[in-house]
Amino acid sequence: MRRARPLLGTLVEIEAQGSAGDGIAENALEQAVSAAFAAVALVHRLMSFHEPDSDLSRLNRRAVSEPVAVHPWTATVLRRARALFHATDGLFDCAIGHDLARLGLLPADGLGPAEAGNFSAVEFLPGNHITFTARIALDLGGIAKGFAVDRAIAVLRAHGVREALVDAGGDMRVMGRTAQPIYIRHPTEPAQLLLAGTLQNGAIATSSPAATLSLVEGRTASALIAAPTRTPIVERASYSVVAPTCVVADALTKVLAQVHTHFGRTDAPYFERFGASAIIIPASATDRQAA
Amino acid sequence: MRWTPFLAAPAAVLVTVPAKATVYFSTEQAQRAIFPGASFTSAGSNVWRVSTGGYFVVDRVIGKHEYITYAVGINANGTIKQIEIMSYNESYGYEVRNASWRAQFVGKGAGSTLQLNADIKNISGATLSCKHITDGVRRVLASVKSR
Repeated sequence: MRRARPLLGTLVEIEAQGSAGDGIAENALEQAVSAAFAAVALVHRLMSFHEPDSDLSRLNRRAVSEPVAVHPWTATVLRRARALFHATDGLFDCAIGHDLARLGLLPADGLGPAEAGNFSAVEFLPGNHITFTARIALDLGGIAKGFAVDRAIAVLRAHGVREALVDAGGDMRVMGRTAQPIYIRHPTEPAQLLLAGTLQNGAIATSSPAATLSLVEGRTASALIAAPTRTPIVERASYSVVAPTCVVADALTKVLAQVHTHFGRTDAPYFERFGASAIIIPASATDRQAA
Repeated sequence: MRWTPFLAAPAAVLVTVPAKATVYFSTEQAQRAIFPGASFTSAGSNVWRVSTGGYFVVDRVIGKHEYITYAVGINANGTIKQIEIMSYNESYGYEVRNASWRAQFVGKGAGSTLQLNADIKNISGATLSCKHITDGVRRVLASVKSR
Protein backbone atom coordinates (compact mmCIF):
# COMPACT_ATOMS: atom_id res chain seq x y z
CA MET A 1 0.00 0.00 0.00
CA ARG A 2 1.37 3.37 -1.03
CA ARG A 3 -0.16 6.69 -0.01
CA ALA A 4 0.90 10.36 -0.20
CA ARG A 5 -0.36 13.51 1.50
CA PRO A 6 0.79 17.13 1.45
CA LEU A 7 2.36 17.73 4.88
CA LEU A 8 5.43 19.45 6.36
CA GLY A 9 5.50 21.74 3.33
CA THR A 10 6.21 18.84 1.01
CA LEU A 11 4.74 15.52 -0.16
CA VAL A 12 4.94 12.80 2.47
CA GLU A 13 4.75 9.29 1.08
CA ILE A 14 4.17 6.17 3.16
CA GLU A 15 4.53 2.68 1.77
CA ALA A 16 3.66 -0.24 4.03
CA GLN A 17 3.45 -3.95 3.39
CA GLY A 18 2.10 -6.82 5.36
CA SER A 19 4.96 -9.20 4.73
CA ALA A 20 4.15 -12.84 4.03
CA GLY A 21 3.43 -14.71 7.25
CA ASP A 22 2.63 -11.62 9.28
CA GLY A 23 -0.81 -11.71 7.75
CA ILE A 24 -1.72 -8.08 8.41
CA ALA A 25 -5.06 -7.45 6.77
CA GLU A 26 -5.65 -4.74 4.19
CA ASN A 27 -7.89 -2.62 6.41
CA ALA A 28 -5.47 -2.96 9.36
CA LEU A 29 -2.73 -1.74 7.03
CA GLU A 30 -4.95 1.18 5.98
CA GLN A 31 -5.47 2.10 9.64
CA ALA A 32 -1.74 1.86 10.37
CA VAL A 33 -0.91 4.18 7.46
CA SER A 34 -3.62 6.67 8.51
CA ALA A 35 -2.26 6.70 12.08
CA ALA A 36 1.27 7.27 10.74
CA PHE A 37 0.04 10.24 8.67
CA ALA A 38 -1.73 11.57 11.78
CA ALA A 39 1.60 11.52 13.65
CA VAL A 40 3.26 13.48 10.82
CA ALA A 41 0.36 15.96 10.81
CA LEU A 42 0.76 16.46 14.58
CA VAL A 43 4.48 17.23 14.16
CA HIS A 44 3.50 19.71 11.42
CA ARG A 45 0.95 21.45 13.69
CA LEU A 46 3.35 21.61 16.66
CA MET A 47 6.55 22.67 14.91
CA SER A 48 5.58 24.80 11.92
CA PHE A 49 7.07 28.27 11.75
CA HIS A 50 4.14 29.38 9.59
CA GLU A 51 1.27 28.33 11.90
CA PRO A 52 0.74 31.10 14.50
CA ASP A 53 -0.63 28.64 17.09
CA SER A 54 2.15 26.05 16.80
CA ASP A 55 4.34 25.34 19.83
CA LEU A 56 7.22 26.81 17.87
CA SER A 57 5.44 30.11 17.13
CA ARG A 58 4.35 30.41 20.78
CA LEU A 59 7.96 29.85 21.88
CA ASN A 60 9.31 32.43 19.45
CA ARG A 61 6.74 35.00 20.61
CA ARG A 62 6.72 34.43 24.37
CA ALA A 63 9.50 32.18 25.72
CA VAL A 64 11.83 35.16 26.24
CA SER A 65 9.31 36.66 28.69
CA GLU A 66 7.78 33.61 30.42
CA PRO A 67 7.95 29.81 30.55
CA VAL A 68 5.94 28.27 27.69
CA ALA A 69 4.40 24.79 28.02
CA VAL A 70 4.95 22.62 24.96
CA HIS A 71 3.79 19.18 23.79
CA PRO A 72 6.08 16.30 24.89
CA TRP A 73 7.09 15.76 21.23
CA THR A 74 8.20 19.40 20.90
CA ALA A 75 10.22 19.03 24.11
CA THR A 76 11.77 15.82 22.72
CA VAL A 77 12.78 17.56 19.48
CA LEU A 78 14.28 20.47 21.43
CA ARG A 79 16.27 18.05 23.60
CA ARG A 80 17.56 16.30 20.45
CA ALA A 81 18.43 19.71 19.00
CA ARG A 82 20.34 20.58 22.17
CA ALA A 83 22.27 17.28 22.10
CA LEU A 84 23.15 17.84 18.43
CA PHE A 85 24.12 21.47 19.11
CA HIS A 86 26.61 20.37 21.79
CA ALA A 87 27.87 17.31 19.88
CA THR A 88 28.70 19.42 16.79
CA ASP A 89 30.36 22.36 18.60
CA GLY A 90 27.36 24.55 17.81
CA LEU A 91 27.26 23.86 14.07
CA PHE A 92 23.78 22.36 14.32
CA ASP A 93 21.90 25.41 15.59
CA CYS A 94 18.13 25.80 15.33
CA ALA A 95 18.32 29.42 16.56
CA ILE A 96 18.43 30.74 12.99
CA GLY A 97 14.86 32.03 12.75
CA HIS A 98 15.95 35.67 12.64
CA ASP A 99 18.57 34.90 9.99
CA LEU A 100 16.01 33.18 7.73
CA ALA A 101 13.49 35.98 8.29
CA ARG A 102 16.14 38.57 7.38
CA LEU A 103 16.72 36.66 4.13
CA GLY A 104 12.98 36.65 3.43
CA LEU A 105 12.82 32.85 3.68
CA LEU A 106 10.55 32.87 6.74
CA PRO A 107 7.86 35.40 7.73
CA ALA A 108 9.14 37.95 10.25
CA ASP A 109 5.75 38.91 11.71
CA GLY A 110 5.38 38.29 15.44
CA LEU A 111 9.10 37.67 15.94
CA GLY A 112 10.02 40.95 17.60
CA PRO A 113 13.47 42.52 17.31
CA ALA A 114 16.34 40.16 16.53
CA GLU A 115 18.96 39.60 19.17
CA ALA A 116 22.24 37.74 18.79
CA GLY A 117 22.23 34.32 20.35
CA ASN A 118 22.35 30.62 19.71
CA PHE A 119 20.65 27.47 20.95
CA SER A 120 22.35 27.78 24.35
CA ALA A 121 19.69 30.44 25.11
CA VAL A 122 17.05 27.66 25.30
CA GLU A 123 16.38 26.59 28.90
CA PHE A 124 14.50 23.46 29.83
CA LEU A 125 12.23 23.64 32.90
CA PRO A 126 10.29 20.79 34.51
CA GLY A 127 6.98 19.72 32.97
CA ASN A 128 7.96 20.42 29.34
CA HIS A 129 8.21 24.15 29.95
CA ILE A 130 10.75 26.14 27.92
CA THR A 131 12.21 29.63 28.31
CA PHE A 132 14.70 31.64 26.24
CA THR A 133 17.44 33.67 27.95
CA ALA A 134 17.82 35.84 24.82
CA ARG A 135 15.41 36.99 22.12
CA ILE A 136 16.32 34.21 19.72
CA ALA A 137 13.94 32.69 17.16
CA LEU A 138 14.02 28.94 16.57
CA ASP A 139 13.38 27.26 13.24
CA LEU A 140 12.96 23.50 13.46
CA GLY A 141 13.12 23.06 9.67
CA GLY A 142 16.42 21.25 10.07
CA ILE A 143 15.14 18.53 12.38
CA ALA A 144 11.31 18.32 12.59
CA LYS A 145 10.93 16.55 9.26
CA GLY A 146 13.34 13.82 10.33
CA PHE A 147 11.56 13.53 13.67
CA ALA A 148 8.19 13.21 11.89
CA VAL A 149 9.54 10.40 9.69
CA ASP A 150 10.81 8.56 12.80
CA ARG A 151 7.42 8.98 14.55
CA ALA A 152 5.61 7.61 11.48
CA ILE A 153 7.88 4.55 11.41
CA ALA A 154 7.28 4.02 15.16
CA VAL A 155 3.50 4.19 14.66
CA LEU A 156 3.63 1.70 11.78
CA ARG A 157 5.72 -0.69 13.89
CA ALA A 158 3.28 -0.35 16.83
CA HIS A 159 0.49 -1.34 14.42
CA GLY A 160 2.31 -4.54 13.50
CA VAL A 161 3.76 -3.36 10.17
CA ARG A 162 7.20 -4.86 9.55
CA GLU A 163 8.08 -3.59 6.05
CA ALA A 164 7.70 0.13 5.41
CA LEU A 165 9.10 3.27 3.85
CA VAL A 166 8.33 6.83 4.98
CA ASP A 167 9.56 9.56 2.63
CA ALA A 168 9.06 13.24 3.52
CA GLY A 169 10.11 14.99 0.32
CA GLY A 170 13.42 13.14 0.06
CA ASP A 171 14.18 12.62 3.76
CA MET A 172 13.28 8.99 4.34
CA ARG A 173 13.53 5.96 6.57
CA VAL A 174 13.12 2.30 5.66
CA MET A 175 12.12 -0.52 7.97
CA GLY A 176 12.14 -4.26 7.34
CA ARG A 177 14.10 -7.16 5.94
CA THR A 178 14.41 -5.73 2.43
CA ALA A 179 17.55 -3.82 1.52
CA GLN A 180 16.10 -0.91 -0.50
CA PRO A 181 17.97 0.80 -3.33
CA ILE A 182 18.46 4.49 -2.51
CA TYR A 183 18.89 7.14 -5.20
CA ILE A 184 20.19 10.67 -4.69
CA ARG A 185 19.01 13.38 -7.03
CA HIS A 186 21.78 15.32 -8.70
CA PRO A 187 21.78 18.83 -7.17
CA THR A 188 21.97 20.74 -10.45
CA GLU A 189 20.70 18.19 -13.01
CA PRO A 190 17.47 16.97 -11.41
CA ALA A 191 16.72 14.39 -14.12
CA GLN A 192 19.88 12.58 -13.09
CA LEU A 193 19.73 10.13 -10.21
CA LEU A 194 22.71 8.47 -8.58
CA LEU A 195 22.22 4.99 -7.19
CA ALA A 196 23.91 5.64 -3.85
CA GLY A 197 23.55 2.20 -2.28
CA THR A 198 21.12 -0.07 -0.52
CA LEU A 199 19.69 0.62 2.90
CA GLN A 200 18.05 -1.65 5.42
CA ASN A 201 16.50 -0.35 8.67
CA GLY A 202 17.97 3.11 8.37
CA ALA A 203 17.43 6.66 7.18
CA ILE A 204 18.83 9.08 4.63
CA ALA A 205 18.33 12.83 4.31
CA THR A 206 19.66 15.30 1.77
CA SER A 207 20.12 19.07 1.91
CA SER A 208 20.89 21.05 -1.17
CA PRO A 209 21.43 24.81 -0.95
CA ALA A 210 20.77 24.98 -4.70
CA ALA A 211 17.12 24.06 -4.03
CA THR A 212 16.46 27.27 -2.09
CA LEU A 213 18.87 29.65 -3.84
CA SER A 214 17.39 33.11 -4.26
CA LEU A 215 18.60 36.63 -4.72
CA VAL A 216 18.30 38.79 -1.59
CA GLU A 217 19.37 42.42 -2.07
CA GLY A 218 21.56 41.44 -4.98
CA ARG A 219 23.30 38.59 -3.14
CA THR A 220 22.68 34.88 -3.48
CA ALA A 221 21.02 33.35 -0.42
CA SER A 222 19.78 29.92 0.65
CA ALA A 223 17.94 28.39 3.60
CA LEU A 224 21.13 26.64 4.76
CA ILE A 225 22.83 28.90 7.30
CA ALA A 226 26.46 28.57 8.41
CA ALA A 227 26.26 28.91 12.20
CA PRO A 228 29.70 30.56 12.75
CA THR A 229 29.01 33.49 10.39
CA ARG A 230 25.19 33.46 10.18
CA THR A 231 25.47 33.64 6.40
CA PRO A 232 23.75 31.38 3.86
CA ILE A 233 25.65 28.56 2.16
CA VAL A 234 25.45 28.99 -1.61
CA GLU A 235 27.52 26.01 -2.79
CA ARG A 236 25.55 24.08 -5.43
CA ALA A 237 26.50 20.64 -4.14
CA SER A 238 24.10 18.35 -2.28
CA TYR A 239 24.77 16.90 1.16
CA SER A 240 23.34 13.54 2.15
CA VAL A 241 23.62 11.69 5.44
CA VAL A 242 22.79 8.05 6.14
CA ALA A 243 22.03 7.37 9.82
CA PRO A 244 20.06 4.92 11.98
CA THR A 245 17.32 7.52 12.56
CA CYS A 246 15.95 10.22 10.27
CA VAL A 247 16.15 12.93 12.93
CA VAL A 248 19.95 12.46 13.06
CA ALA A 249 20.26 12.15 9.26
CA ASP A 250 18.20 15.34 8.74
CA ALA A 251 20.17 17.36 11.31
CA LEU A 252 23.61 16.18 10.21
CA THR A 253 23.06 17.26 6.57
CA LYS A 254 23.28 20.86 7.84
CA VAL A 255 26.50 20.04 9.69
CA LEU A 256 27.99 18.31 6.64
CA ALA A 257 27.23 21.34 4.43
CA GLN A 258 29.02 23.60 6.92
CA VAL A 259 32.15 21.51 7.45
CA HIS A 260 32.47 21.15 3.67
CA THR A 261 31.88 24.75 2.59
CA HIS A 262 32.85 26.76 5.64
CA PHE A 263 35.84 24.80 6.89
CA GLY A 264 36.82 23.24 3.57
CA ARG A 265 37.00 19.79 5.08
CA THR A 266 36.45 16.70 2.99
CA ASP A 267 35.94 14.38 5.95
CA ALA A 268 32.89 14.28 8.20
CA PRO A 269 33.80 14.97 11.82
CA TYR A 270 31.17 14.30 14.50
CA PHE A 271 29.60 11.55 12.37
CA GLU A 272 31.12 8.46 13.94
CA ARG A 273 29.39 8.79 17.31
CA PHE A 274 26.04 8.95 15.51
CA GLY A 275 26.80 5.92 13.32
CA ALA A 276 26.31 8.17 10.29
CA SER A 277 27.85 8.22 6.78
CA ALA A 278 28.22 11.26 4.52
CA ILE A 279 27.71 11.57 0.75
CA ILE A 280 28.53 14.80 -1.10
CA ILE A 281 27.42 15.14 -4.72
CA PRO A 282 29.25 18.07 -6.31
CA ALA A 283 27.61 20.41 -8.79
CA SER A 284 28.16 19.46 -12.43
CA ALA A 285 31.23 20.95 -14.14
CA THR A 286 29.19 23.46 -16.14
CA ASP A 287 27.38 24.67 -13.00
CA ARG A 288 30.65 25.06 -11.18
CA GLN A 289 31.89 27.32 -13.97
CA ALA A 290 28.68 29.33 -13.85
CA ALA A 291 28.86 29.68 -10.07
CA MET B 1 20.97 -0.31 10.13
CA ARG B 2 22.79 -1.83 7.17
CA TRP B 3 24.10 0.63 4.57
CA THR B 4 25.88 -0.71 1.48
CA PRO B 5 27.30 2.23 -0.47
CA PHE B 6 27.72 2.00 -4.27
CA LEU B 7 29.17 5.43 -4.86
CA ALA B 8 32.79 4.31 -5.26
CA ALA B 9 32.17 4.43 -9.01
CA PRO B 10 29.56 7.13 -9.39
CA ALA B 11 29.65 7.31 -13.19
CA ALA B 12 28.54 3.69 -13.39
CA VAL B 13 25.36 4.20 -11.44
CA LEU B 14 23.93 7.34 -12.98
CA VAL B 15 20.30 6.91 -14.01
CA THR B 16 18.45 9.39 -16.19
CA VAL B 17 14.78 9.80 -15.39
CA PRO B 18 12.98 11.77 -18.09
CA ALA B 19 9.55 11.23 -16.53
CA LYS B 20 8.27 9.55 -13.41
CA ALA B 21 4.72 8.63 -12.57
CA THR B 22 3.20 7.33 -9.36
CA VAL B 23 -0.48 6.46 -9.10
CA TYR B 24 -1.85 6.12 -5.58
CA PHE B 25 -5.62 6.12 -6.09
CA SER B 26 -8.27 5.96 -8.76
CA THR B 27 -11.20 8.34 -8.16
CA GLU B 28 -13.36 5.50 -6.77
CA GLN B 29 -10.59 4.30 -4.44
CA ALA B 30 -9.99 7.83 -3.15
CA GLN B 31 -13.75 8.25 -2.53
CA ARG B 32 -13.85 5.01 -0.53
CA ALA B 33 -10.70 5.95 1.43
CA ILE B 34 -11.91 9.40 2.44
CA PHE B 35 -15.65 8.63 2.91
CA PRO B 36 -15.89 4.90 3.73
CA GLY B 37 -19.34 3.46 3.09
CA ALA B 38 -20.77 6.63 1.51
CA SER B 39 -22.28 7.00 -1.95
CA PHE B 40 -21.48 9.82 -4.35
CA THR B 41 -23.61 11.94 -6.68
CA SER B 42 -21.95 13.99 -9.40
CA ALA B 43 -22.39 17.71 -8.74
CA GLY B 44 -20.43 19.08 -11.66
CA SER B 45 -17.03 18.54 -13.22
CA ASN B 46 -14.83 16.66 -10.70
CA VAL B 47 -17.18 17.48 -7.82
CA TRP B 48 -19.37 14.93 -6.01
CA ARG B 49 -21.95 15.38 -3.27
CA VAL B 50 -21.45 12.79 -0.51
CA SER B 51 -24.46 10.85 0.88
CA THR B 52 -23.26 11.43 4.45
CA GLY B 53 -22.89 15.19 3.89
CA GLY B 54 -20.08 17.22 2.37
CA TYR B 55 -18.26 17.09 -0.93
CA PHE B 56 -15.55 15.10 -2.69
CA VAL B 57 -13.48 17.13 -5.16
CA VAL B 58 -10.71 16.08 -7.55
CA ASP B 59 -8.29 18.81 -8.55
CA ARG B 60 -4.96 19.13 -10.38
CA VAL B 61 -2.00 21.41 -9.82
CA ILE B 62 0.87 22.00 -12.20
CA GLY B 63 4.27 22.93 -10.84
CA LYS B 64 7.49 23.68 -12.67
CA HIS B 65 8.35 20.00 -13.05
CA GLU B 66 5.38 18.17 -11.60
CA TYR B 67 1.75 17.51 -12.28
CA ILE B 68 -0.24 16.37 -9.26
CA THR B 69 -3.81 15.10 -9.06
CA TYR B 70 -5.33 15.08 -5.61
CA ALA B 71 -8.65 14.54 -3.87
CA VAL B 72 -10.14 16.73 -1.15
CA GLY B 73 -12.85 15.43 1.19
CA ILE B 74 -14.89 18.30 2.62
CA ASN B 75 -17.11 17.85 5.66
CA ALA B 76 -20.72 19.06 5.73
CA ASN B 77 -19.57 22.08 7.79
CA GLY B 78 -17.09 23.11 5.08
CA THR B 79 -13.92 21.98 6.86
CA ILE B 80 -11.36 19.68 5.28
CA LYS B 81 -11.82 16.03 6.19
CA GLN B 82 -8.87 14.58 4.31
CA ILE B 83 -6.54 15.26 1.39
CA GLU B 84 -5.08 12.38 -0.61
CA ILE B 85 -2.63 12.58 -3.50
CA MET B 86 -4.09 10.48 -6.36
CA SER B 87 -1.18 10.69 -8.77
CA TYR B 88 2.17 12.36 -9.00
CA ASN B 89 3.94 12.90 -12.32
CA GLU B 90 7.34 14.47 -12.58
CA SER B 91 9.22 15.47 -15.66
CA TYR B 92 12.52 17.03 -16.60
CA GLY B 93 13.23 17.62 -20.23
CA TYR B 94 9.55 17.69 -21.15
CA GLU B 95 7.35 20.68 -20.65
CA VAL B 96 4.92 19.85 -17.85
CA ARG B 97 2.66 22.70 -18.96
CA ASN B 98 2.40 21.05 -22.36
CA ALA B 99 -1.14 19.67 -22.69
CA SER B 100 -0.12 16.64 -24.76
CA TRP B 101 2.43 15.60 -22.15
CA ARG B 102 -0.25 15.76 -19.45
CA ALA B 103 -2.84 14.03 -21.62
CA GLN B 104 -1.01 10.72 -21.29
CA PHE B 105 -1.92 10.63 -17.59
CA VAL B 106 -5.57 11.67 -17.81
CA GLY B 107 -7.91 8.91 -16.77
CA LYS B 108 -5.11 6.65 -15.60
CA GLY B 109 -6.09 4.97 -12.37
CA ALA B 110 -4.36 2.54 -10.09
CA GLY B 111 -5.54 -0.36 -12.25
CA SER B 112 -4.17 1.02 -15.52
CA THR B 113 -0.98 -0.06 -17.18
CA LEU B 114 0.90 3.23 -17.03
CA GLN B 115 4.45 2.32 -16.07
CA LEU B 116 6.98 5.11 -16.51
CA ASN B 117 10.09 4.25 -14.54
CA ALA B 118 7.82 2.76 -11.92
CA ASP B 119 10.77 1.00 -10.31
CA ILE B 120 12.65 4.19 -9.52
CA LYS B 121 11.65 5.28 -6.05
CA ASN B 122 13.40 6.14 -2.79
CA ILE B 123 14.92 9.33 -4.16
CA SER B 124 16.68 11.48 -1.59
CA GLY B 125 17.06 15.04 -2.67
CA ALA B 126 15.86 18.58 -2.51
CA THR B 127 12.46 18.91 -0.94
CA LEU B 128 9.59 19.48 -3.32
CA SER B 129 7.45 22.38 -2.17
CA CYS B 130 3.75 21.60 -1.86
CA LYS B 131 2.78 25.27 -1.80
CA HIS B 132 0.83 24.93 -5.04
CA ILE B 133 -1.21 22.09 -3.50
CA THR B 134 -1.98 24.30 -0.50
CA ASP B 135 -3.08 27.06 -2.89
CA GLY B 136 -5.14 24.54 -4.87
CA VAL B 137 -6.93 23.29 -1.75
CA ARG B 138 -7.77 26.90 -0.81
CA ARG B 139 -9.24 27.38 -4.28
CA VAL B 140 -11.27 24.13 -3.99
CA LEU B 141 -12.65 25.18 -0.59
CA ALA B 142 -13.67 28.59 -1.94
CA SER B 143 -15.43 27.03 -4.93
CA VAL B 144 -17.39 24.59 -2.73
CA LYS B 145 -18.38 27.35 -0.28
CA SER B 146 -19.83 29.40 -3.12
CA ARG B 147 -22.24 26.54 -4.02
